[in-house]
Amino acid sequence: MSADKTLGGAGTVPLSAAEAMTSTTAEPVADENGRASAATWRAFRREPLGLLAGGLLALLVFVAIAAPLLSPYPASFGENVLRPPGGGEWFGTDALGRSVYAEVVWGTQQSLLVAAAASLIAIAFGTLVAVVGAYFRSIDGFIGVVVDLTLSLPVLPLMILIAALVGPSTTTIILVVAAFSWPEVTRIVRSQALTVVNLPYVDAARLMTTSPVWIITKHVVPTVTPVIVVSVVVTASRAVLSAAGLAFLGLGDPTTWSWGRILYEAQQSGAMSSAWWLTLFPSLAILALVLSATLLSIAYNDARNPKSRRR
Amino acid sequence: MFRTSRIAAVAALAVSALALSACAPTAPEPSASASGGGGAGAASNETLTIATTTDVVNYNPLIGNSRSDYWITNLMYPHLLSIADDGSKEPQVATEWGYVDETTGFYEIRDDLTWSDGEKLTAEDVAWTMNAVKRDAPSGTFYGQLANFESAEAVSDTRVEITLTTADSSIVDEIGFWGNVVPKHVFEPAGSVAEFANDGSAGGWVSAGPYLLTDVQVGQSYTLERVEDYPLVEGGTPYSAEVVYRVFPDVNTEILALQSGEVDVIANSLPPAQVETLRNTPGIEVEEAVGLGYAHMTYNMTKPDLAKLEVRKALAHSVDYEAIRKVVLQDQAVSTGSSPLMPVLEDYYDDSIEEYEFDTDMARELMEEAGYTADAGGNFPVSFRLIYSLQDAVTSQWVTLVKDGAAEAGITIELQGTERNTYLAQTNAGDFDIYAGNFAIMDDPVTNMTLAYLPEGAINYTYVDDPELNELITTASSTTDKDEKVELMREAAAIVRDNVYDNIMYTQNLYFAHSDKWTGFVSKPSELLSIVNPISVASAHLK
Repeated sequence: MSADKTLGGAGTVPLSAAEAMTSTTAEPVADENGRASAATWRAFRREPLGLLAGGLLALLVFVAIAAPLLSPYPASFGENVLRPPGGGEWFGTDALGRSVYAEVVWGTQQSLLVAAAASLIAIAFGTLVAVVGAYFRSIDGFIGVVVDLTLSLPVLPLMILIAALVGPSTTTIILVVAAFSWPEVTRIVRSQALTVVNLPYVDAARLMTTSPVWIITKHVVPTVTPVIVVSVVVTASRAVLSAAGLAFLGLGDPTTWSWGRILYEAQQSGAMSSAWWLTLFPSLAILALVLSATLLSIAYNDARNPKSRRR
Repeated sequence: MFRTSRIAAVAALAVSALALSACAPTAPEPSASASGGGGAGAASNETLTIATTTDVVNYNPLIGNSRSDYWITNLMYPHLLSIADDGSKEPQVATEWGYVDETTGFYEIRDDLTWSDGEKLTAEDVAWTMNAVKRDAPSGTFYGQLANFESAEAVSDTRVEITLTTADSSIVDEIGFWGNVVPKHVFEPAGSVAEFANDGSAGGWVSAGPYLLTDVQVGQSYTLERVEDYPLVEGGTPYSAEVVYRVFPDVNTEILALQSGEVDVIANSLPPAQVETLRNTPGIEVEEAVGLGYAHMTYNMTKPDLAKLEVRKALAHSVDYEAIRKVVLQDQAVSTGSSPLMPVLEDYYDDSIEEYEFDTDMARELMEEAGYTADAGGNFPVSFRLIYSLQDAVTSQWVTLVKDGAAEAGITIELQGTERNTYLAQTNAGDFDIYAGNFAIMDDPVTNMTLAYLPEGAINYTYVDDPELNELITTASSTTDKDEKVELMREAAAIVRDNVYDNIMYTQNLYFAHSDKWTGFVSKPSELLSIVNPISVASAHLK
């Protein structure tokens, strides 16, 4: 046996410096995670973009929760139709004289609900499939094929088809978006989990118990959590875009306000060419959510990785 | 455009599932002559570009489908009769029409029309078209008018006589208006007219209208070339050398294209909220067309709750009709007084029939009379599912007002907006509590009531079967005396209103935009004819 092989470690996958450190440490995993998270937070606080994005996201969540305090629910109609922003109406009025400000504020609720619920379902299912596949190598091949197959499907046409067949409602939107988001999560989490299950401490855990559930929940999932956090944010922002897209195509819930519905109604009323405020404000809201979610995930990822931390 | 799925009778009414439907011409045309043949007189080399939002699905005019189908085939296959603002019929291919006796009708047709391949258009073409439609039953408006039609015969080159199975005082007008004439020498060898695609694959098309379709780019454009000899227009030749229909994704892009000068006319009616904006836009002119149809809601009487008159009344009294007309329709609609006899049908209109008053307290009392008790929150233990088409932008807007009004009266309405084909399937299957929709042209009250209120009527969405009403309608359909007919129709309308067999909400006036470089359009009722009817397209000219 050559010295090289011994240095390579027990795993078949080459290890990065940071992972090698983790795997060779004698200290318990939980302690290491505790110190790592503190370091991550220290690094994160030095990322102005990340803090800004976090603040923006917090603001949107606040708007969603405090909607009743910020604006009355949009009335069914108003006297002043298609008024530009100004006067009593911050964001102007739509083709039925309703306040666009009220619609955007109340639309935040539905948009965040879809984002949270869809990404939660996608993450839960995607992670489960990923870690199970990574741990039980016999079914990994099958899972890989299913993931590749699902990823290669034309997502938008299928979403449209399903939403049209089942009928428009918030639940439909959430399920449809979740159904097409989990493979992406699975792919990212699986690649990380594959590395983890081959590390010596997982082998060690196998000596302590025969329960794969215990090993997966105690040792595999905690290690892949940072990847999951990043994909939650990315999946959520993608869910908002998909939901807005479906609503714009008339496949959203016609009785609940969402940013996509404001755009859809602007298009239906033929007011897009003359009333810029109908499309600008909901679009800005979508942009704010997607941008802050993306920046936040980038900042978190940078902060988590010792190599990319700002000195 | 119109529903064609059920008995073609439905189509008879040009049911418009799109919100923008009913319309009739009212605006005085800038340069059109009173005879209907406007135009600058001289032919030119100009191209008139018209915007539409749908592709042509069917090139066979006997099978109705999309709006574009109607607009483009209408430029090639003429109708016997045209329509005036008040629903009365005007000469087109036919110069005279009427009844020989109770069960025989006739049309005298022009002798100067020729198909573009050189064949004369004769009474034989007219008679053959009618008989073929009766025989093959294509799903379309035309077939729907043929319920009491037995056969047609060309008794000379210019006279067609039709035999009826029973006396019907409306059928000559209705067949004349809704039916096209197709070339027998092209359609007969093709077999069944219900299946003939007429897609030009056998060497192009043949036209007896002002234009002939010559080039099709699916999803993009339809090019039609002038037919030099078109005697229905002043001067005998259409003005523009070419008419191009261009396909746009939606009305927003159409408006932008008109503003940029890319197109000269938008064939689709304008969304109500855009009319004022476009009227004040330099370079654009807006033409008005008085409505000849109506928008309505029906309450499905096969449902136990809705079978109760008090419940239907409560629903009818919980709608803020004024707000709908003012806000959603921007005051571009007129009340019909909750009667199927619209004010535009001057001879029939009865102003003593009044609109249901918006009064949610009265609605609550009616619900209590019907035996319902409101819970602590003031809500009655009923919930109704209202269906509408999501493609119908105006209806999609006012149904929320209907829902909110009913909620004030403690009645829950669940809105179910669906894609148009699903909506039509639900409508035809009676799969709804409340139906919301509209008809583009309801030109003849007797025909309309036959279809809407008789037990077997194709658009009887209330599922009403009232012996007194049935008697009035059947008597009226065989009555030739106009005054007597009007009296019977007014009685029937009062029954419909008082029993809430139908809730007719308004007649919408439609508006159409074109470039101010062009003039001479001749506006006709409904979005189907509007300013893109054959005479109008042939007469339009540069200023």
